[in-house]
Amino acid sequence: MGPYCLYYRDTVQSEKPTGAKRVEGNASGEHRKPQLKPLLVESFARMDPRRLKSNPVMFIVELSFIVVAVMAIDPGLIPVVSSPSQQPFYAYVAIIVLLTVWFSTISDSIAEAQIKATADSLKQIEHEVKARKVGADRKVTMVSSKSLRKGDTVLIQKGDYIPIDCVVMEGVAMVDESLLTGESAPVKKAPTDVLIGGSVLVSDSLVAKISADPGDTFLSKLISMVESTKRPKTPNETSISTLLIGFTAIFTIIIISILWLSVSLSLGVDLSVLMALYVCLLPTTIGALLPAIGISGIRRMSADKIIAKSGKAIETAGDTDVVLLDKTGTITFGSRIATNFIPLGKHTQKELGEASFLSSWYDDTPEGRSIIDLAYRDGYIPSVFCSIDRASAVEFSAVTRVSSVKLENPALFLLPKGGGRKSQRMTRMRKKVQQDIPIQDMNITKGAPDAIAQSAREVPAGFDEKVSMISSMGETAMAVAAGGEIIGLIRLKDQLKPGIKEKIDSVKAMGITPIMITGDQPLTAKSIASEVDIDEFVSKAKPETKIEVVKREQSNGRIVAMVGDGTNDAPALAAADAGLAMGSGTIAAKEAANMVDLESDPSKIIRVIILGKQLLMTRGAVTTFSISNDIAKYFAIVPVMFAALPVLGRINVLGLPPETTVLAALVFNAIIIPALIPLATRGVKLKPQNAMAIFMRNMLTYGVGGIILPFIGIELIGRIIMAL
Amino acid sequence: MSALLYIPFLALIFAIVIASAWLLSRYLFDVYTGKKGRLDKLFDPIDNFIYRIINADPLRQMSGWDYFFSVLVFSAFSAALCFAILLFQGYLPLNPQHFTGLSWSLALNTAISFVTNTNLQHYAGETTLSYLSQAAAIQFLQFSSAAIGLCVAVAVFRGFSGKFKGIGNFYYDYVRTITRVMLPIAAIAAIVLVAAGLPQTFSGYITANTIGGGSQTIAIGPIASLVSIMQLGTNGGGYFGANSASPFQNPSPFTNWFEVYLMVLFVTAMPFLFGRMAQNSREGHMLLIAMYAIYAINMAVAFYNVMQFGPGMEASIGAFSSTFWTVTSTSTMTGSLNASLASFNPLVILAALMGMFVQAAPGGIGVGIVYMLMYAILAVFIVGLMAGRTPEYLGAKILPSDIKRAVIVFVSHPIIILIPLAIAFSTGAAGAIGSGSIPNGFTRVLYEFTSAAANNGSDFLGTAANTAFFNISTGVVMLLGRFIAMAIMLIIAESMLKRPRAAEIGMRTDSLLFAGILVVSIMILVVLAFLPFMVLGPILSLLQGYGAI
Repeated sequence: MGPYCLYYRDTVQSEKPTGAKRVEGNASGEHRKPQLKPLLVESFARMDPRRLKSNPVMFIVELSFIVVAVMAIDPGLIPVVSSPSQQPFYAYVAIIVLLTVWFSTISDSIAEAQIKATADSLKQIEHEVKARKVGADRKVTMVSSKSLRKGDTVLIQKGDYIPIDCVVMEGVAMVDESLLTGESAPVKKAPTDVLIGGSVLVSDSLVAKISADPGDTFLSKLISMVESTKRPKTPNETSISTLLIGFTAIFTIIIISILWLSVSLSLGVDLSVLMALYVCLLPTTIGALLPAIGISGIRRMSADKIIAKSGKAIETAGDTDVVLLDKTGTITFGSRIATNFIPLGKHTQKELGEASFLSSWYDDTPEGRSIIDLAYRDGYIPSVFCSIDRASAVEFSAVTRVSSVKLENPALFLLPKGGGRKSQRMTRMRKKVQQDIPIQDMNITKGAPDAIAQSAREVPAGFDEKVSMISSMGETAMAVAAGGEIIGLIRLKDQLKPGIKEKIDSVKAMGITPIMITGDQPLTAKSIASEVDIDEFVSKAKPETKIEVVKREQSNGRIVAMVGDGTNDAPALAAADAGLAMGSGTIAAKEAANMVDLESDPSKIIRVIILGKQLLMTRGAVTTFSISNDIAKYFAIVPVMFAALPVLGRINVLGLPPETTVLAALVFNAIIIPALIPLATRGVKLKPQNAMAIFMRNMLTYGVGGIILPFIGIELIGRIIMAL
Repeated sequence: MSALLYIPFLALIFAIVIASAWLLSRYLFDVYTGKKGRLDKLFDPIDNFIYRIINADPLRQMSGWDYFFSVLVFSAFSAALCFAILLFQGYLPLNPQHFTGLSWSLALNTAISFVTNTNLQHYAGETTLSYLSQAAAIQFLQFSSAAIGLCVAVAVFRGFSGKFKGIGNFYYDYVRTITRVMLPIAAIAAIVLVAAGLPQTFSGYITANTIGGGSQTIAIGPIASLVSIMQLGTNGGGYFGANSASPFQNPSPFTNWFEVYLMVLFVTAMPFLFGRMAQNSREGHMLLIAMYAIYAINMAVAFYNVMQFGPGMEASIGAFSSTFWTVTSTSTMTGSLNASLASFNPLVILAALMGMFVQAAPGGIGVGIVYMLMYAILAVFIVGLMAGRTPEYLGAKILPSDIKRAVIVFVSHPIIILIPLAIAFSTGAAGAIGSGSIPNGFTRVLYEFTSAAANNGSDFLGTAANTAFFNISTGVVMLLGRFIAMAIMLIIAESMLKRPRAAEIGMRTDSLLFAGILVVSIMILVVLAFLPFMVLGPILSLLQGYGAI
């Protein structure tokens, strides 16, 4: 199979592909209000006892409803513990108990609807497009991307969406993965590189082989994980559910004992009041909101374009003791970044820029990429670029400390066929190019200034001064020579990522130890670490360093979170308790990690930790609140429930009549569920503080508040009921 | 006498208690970690001889189940022996008063009662039991059940602390507890009591001719030795039906307060021992503070209107001492009494019930702190999540399995109290012994089952409960109350043994805040589980303007 089209067609900065509209912003799902009607239908459907069985607390509440409803219909069916005159009261009790169940199912439905909206918006990344399928006879046919299968070959031209995950077979091109990764600069793709479905080709053409069937791509697998209704419970959810079952058991025994005693000792307890007490005591608040809290956690992560493979992963992230941060990419922009070109002698910026572009094309280090970015931004695209695939490159070596590119018989680009303004512009440019630069062999070297100076024919004036000026500012100079003549310097700077210091401060405030990992020399590492207030760092790191650090910290009983993107990182990601892989990383890394960030922002690990903590806090807060509430409900109902013992009225702290008290407690118990839905789906607010301070604040709000609030609430509701 | 005058006196007593408990915990630590000491020359041959007889390898590490199974088998054998002695005491020696054997249900109840460290007595000792029964059956089980409590606690500590190879070996712990701890300390206490005037003899009862011309039998026997272990081992089963209200068990204010000291000595030493074994003494101190805080709350309830006492108070002892004793005895699961419960204000009864509902303030010998650890797991988990981390205790993450097990232990307590309570009233068994009404009869029966479930042993009903229903039902309740918690806490301990430990950066459990949270959580849990029943019993009689219950 020969080359289909490998020619660079545009020297102008990449235009946004026509027809490839970016879908932004709505991936959060926050902007879409779930529709009301399906929500109602779903919430009623969930009240089916068969579906409610998975939530034992609510299932029992529904059973209590049935008992009271029977009493409301005909008190005679349950004699001794009911009286016919109380029929309207039974009806009220039944209605409020049923409302309690409905409030619970509606909170589940809202959470499910929100996550579905989020998943839908993620799915838009990989939607159906037209693709050019290359048949066995090399004929290109237009097909739907859905009909492509693993092993098919496709031709992708400039402006096309990558139809589905595939591997480059031929060609070199720039691909815009910003939809997936948030990285705005296009990425170079060459044979054997992986293309992710949903990204856009912004230059050239590629031939690629499909690597996954539709619905089986990495992204779609991740999204279906988010959408899945079968989410295994996290360890803490299991613990809370167990606790709730324990409370349910105790209250069941209490209610049965009271009923039994009341009948044998004629204490005059009405069954409906007993059922009301039962429903009030059951941990309905946490029972109703627990599923919604978990779902919302996953949704909040996906709204940040982080796909968690399990709820457990988020929870573990909240437990993090140690977080490993790569210096490169997390704390600083890919080590050093080219900031400007300094031409020397008679050479122009354009000459230097173009030479730097060529010499860096095969340099896959962050420095190399930043030089290309800088040249690209300034418009220094060499005209011989189309022959770059024939260039021979010598990679940087620590011995020579230079890298070089040799290009023999370079050819200028061919013009695209067809007319129009664009092609006229091309023609003009060709003429210009042909006049300006004679086609000749090129040999460009770049590297450490002293190494280049040694091999150069002569050192231009001001070379040494410029170099020492740059290094005195803590930056790095790189010299570029073309054909043995030094044409200029590239200035490189190690830049801190914006906001990283604040993020690290917040991590430390929560009692988490950040450890910086870098391949730099200890002194360089130390200066960066102290700049961002990191006390612990590992310098001169090798690929296996991360897993060593992970193992070392874990053997001290600490929970380790880390970020990784390369195949090198996969073992460490798998070993770490919370591993976040970059969406742009290798498949091996993404499979090893338990979370994937589609935007490929490594500092998001901090966001994940905070989300994990919020999730744990929300569960704890609602559980504590729910249990504290019981005190008030107990003290409200017990003094009024024994009709044969009016003397107990002396300890009726609320001072409301019996039936009003029971209804008020039930109403309070029911409306606290919808009142807390926003808290459950948004999560408890978290200021980065140490655990004890966070704990104290929550304890006061939800523990102490949980004891006091219902006394006030029941009293108020009782007065309203009396006023009606 | 105003209660306020007692405060300096109590401060002195408890300063002595804390100081000697702290010293005792050092000794216990050496005993259970096998540290070499000067006393080894004396005890090692004895211990090794016992290991040979029972054919045990004292160095084998047991699993949680193994340990529990050993406890269970050992308890079953000793209970069977006790049952046989009680049933056939009429044919056995050391029976100068020629008492006949007990009925099978009373013998069964008594055997269970003593093997579970409960000492619920549906009989009056001086008119029912021979010297052999008192010494061999009763006293042996009082040593043994107390020792088993200590052993289980130590095994649980080993697991929780995570600093040991295993949770230990029951036979090693048991033999060392008996030879190096219980026997020497009980002997010293008995000598003090004999010096203070308690009888210690195997000769027959004394018949005295009274001034009025009649004759009166004065029951005596090996009393001092029994009293020392009954108080030290939080047993509470006295020689006499009147227990420590009897002048031969408690002749003077000195013996009264010395016996209070014995009751709280071991249970106070346990949190110190826990701190030592966890290598963080503050962890132990916080548990001790929580225990004493709840103990103080119970006291405050009891003394709320202390001066209103009904008839039946032992005049030589006085209202303050009686109330203090009763709350201490119920809070420590001892169950010995120096006044009739029927003579107390309902608030004292409420305080006594609360002590037995909690079971951990400070609780029975060994088991009290084990219950406290169960509460610690629940409290740490419920509120600890709010620190934004999976809760940890002593650095070990709380897993779903821990919560499941702790919940079973917690839930079992109300279940084994409330179900038999409801059965007693619905079947008329309570009415049959004149306790079928609210609030007084209800309080008595509630107290009976609570005391059985908490393995306390104090009771209102006394000999009146010697019916087949109460003998069997309280027997079952005592067994469940004792062994469910032991089995499950040993299993939790084993599972925590090898769990990775982290530096505590979540909610700190060695802080005063945690002690406070523990107290509040325990009070809330207990109120949630028992409030309606407290209302139908003592609170109702308080509201109805009680006289005596």
